[in-house]
Amino acid sequence: MSQLSLKRVEKSFNEAHIIKGIDLEVSEGEFVVFVGPSGCGKSTLLRMIAGLEEVTSGEIVIGGRTVNDLPPVQRGIAMVFQSYALYPHMTVYENIAFPLRVERLPQAEVDRRVSAAARVLQLETRLQQRPGTLSGGQRQRVAIGRAIVREPQIFLFDEPLSNLDAALRSEMRIELMELHKRLGSTMIYVTHDQVEAMTMADKIVVLDAGTISQVGSPLELYHKPDNLFVAGFIGSPKMNFINGTVTAADGTTATVDLGALGTISLPRQSRSVAGQSVIVGIRPEHLRLGKGDFTLTVTPKIVEHLGIHTVTYADLPGGENFVGLFEGDPDVPEGRPLEVSFAQNQVHLFDSAGLAVY
Amino acid sequence: MTSEPMTAAQKVAHPADDAAVAPIAKAKPVKAVRAMIDRYTWYEYAAIYAGIALFLFFVLAPFIEGFMVSLKPLSRLFSSPYSFWPKEGSLTAYFTMWESVPGFWRYIVNSLFISTTATVIVLIMVVPAAYAFARFPFPGRGALLGAFLAVNMFSGAVLLIPLFRLMRQMGLLNTYWAMIVPGAAFLIPSAIWLLRTYMMRIPRELDEAAWVDGASRLYTLRRVILPIAMPGIAVVAITTFIGAYAQQFIFALTFNSKTEFMPLAIGLFAYFGRQEVVWNELMAASFVGIAPVLILIVFLQRYLVAGLTAGAVKT
Repeated sequence: MSQLSLKRVEKSFNEAHIIKGIDLEVSEGEFVVFVGPSGCGKSTLLRMIAGLEEVTSGEIVIGGRTVNDLPPVQRGIAMVFQSYALYPHMTVYENIAFPLRVERLPQAEVDRRVSAAARVLQLETRLQQRPGTLSGGQRQRVAIGRAIVREPQIFLFDEPLSNLDAALRSEMRIELMELHKRLGSTMIYVTHDQVEAMTMADKIVVLDAGTISQVGSPLELYHKPDNLFVAGFIGSPKMNFINGTVTAADGTTATVDLGALGTISLPRQSRSVAGQSVIVGIRPEHLRLGKGDFTLTVTPKIVEHLGIHTVTYADLPGGENFVGLFEGDPDVPEGRPLEVSFAQNQVHLFDSAGLAVY
Repeated sequence: MTSEPMTAAQKVAHPADDAAVAPIAKAKPVKAVRAMIDRYTWYEYAAIYAGIALFLFFVLAPFIEGFMVSLKPLSRLFSSPYSFWPKEGSLTAYFTMWESVPGFWRYIVNSLFISTTATVIVLIMVVPAAYAFARFPFPGRGALLGAFLAVNMFSGAVLLIPLFRLMRQMGLLNTYWAMIVPGAAFLIPSAIWLLRTYMMRIPRELDEAAWVDGASRLYTLRRVILPIAMPGIAVVAITTFIGAYAQQFIFALTFNSKTEFMPLAIGLFAYFGRQEVVWNELMAASFVGIAPVLILIVFLQRYLVAGLTAGAVKT
């Protein structure tokens, strides 16, 4: 049974249509990540679930109750803000205790809950400090502590790691995942960082301009993107796209003319793509050096050596960028033509509307 | 011998951090560490200080002359040739002033009472108003703020006659309220502007976080916004108090004729005799009269500076 469901939820600010009809089911204990480029409406959607933004139309149901008109506190949610929103004049203890003070709980109960949260978050020695004296990661933990003490059904996180430096971010990512395991509560997490989405999520919701582009597990999105947007958004470096035209589609094989690169035959059942202009997608990490199913020659302009990987950037005859990612440190100098290949079963095909063709 | 003034200078340079820094500072000769952008040549310093001196002279000249007059005996005041430095100077006027106008202390108390009451009224009105103007988008918000600015452009003097009729209608003439109410009214607009700007720098996410945690608007205002806005409120309180102190004159002159309610600025007229003005005592009385405010400012100026310059919140 789903704990949170969104039913054709829409949001407009005056004329601007921000959220254009979203349907989503979230089950209890799931870690759901909303991901998308900036301006796609992911934060607005989260704020609507939180009760900070009004719903223009549609329904938000939490635990079987329509909560459209309820204030946040009655929705059983707690939220962690991007800037942490800690109260600078209060100690860490009072910051964490704030929701309990609002509820006017007896001091003994406040003590019990705050110290329990502090233990989970390793803040026990910091309780009497002010937020201003804490590091970014500690402030983040205080903000999470303030969310935990209310014992909400659903945690909402609005880009909580974006203010941290890279090293701390991956550390906090792991802490958050451990926290999710320990508490077992539903978490909805907004980020523009697809690495965060891929590593943390049980379920990723990719948003594009106010609509859901695709919902699925990280690996589903990676292996079977529904459309060009998801294919380009998930994965780093980005998937390579090559324009082509389908010359024949007989129900088992589609033959795509890639212009100067030659033709490629892909196993596809669709017949309707025949004659359409299409886009062929291949992930940089699926390229191999040397000959294979489909071989092409590129000349890297730029080569990045990361030790574990080597990334090459080249231009195709059609003008598209073409990125290759190879394991280890192969001998691929800049400016020297390079033979690379990929397997047919790792190629993605998108029709002229940008939808995946299977 | 030489080391002692050195340490004294160091203490002046770092009044806040003492013991911990002292050993390190002792080891190295004192050298002011300035950022490159703050370094000037000697002639630039000379020009800067000359400019400051010129400005200060213009501002302070009346005070200096007034103080000199207060030290001179009355008979010497109009002697020629005029001498700037008082001959036979003494503080006598500061003692005789209490005898020539026995009720003078009452005027000082009146002034303080009127200003304090006006400040309290302004604060009670302005704090919630500034929060509303800073946070809620309501119809007419911009127009109201504009109207406040417009009110600020009129001095009270322009509106004296309508105000007088209003006061008479309400039966407030010749009471303390005749001076407190218009004083507060004319100070509210600028106070709202000042505090609203300050409150707008408090991140909205703090309100939202409190709202998500179940706090009402008033609870948020009391527990979250007010403590953070305290430096801003202090600035508003101080500027309002000074404003109220300064503008009493015109309202007191027009709306009040009872001697016992007179504030300082009007009370000084008591030194205008039938035959002559007791200038030296008048000047002495002026200085005694502004002394309480002066002392207040000395103590509060760090809040003033901190409140005006510091960022509201570092989260």
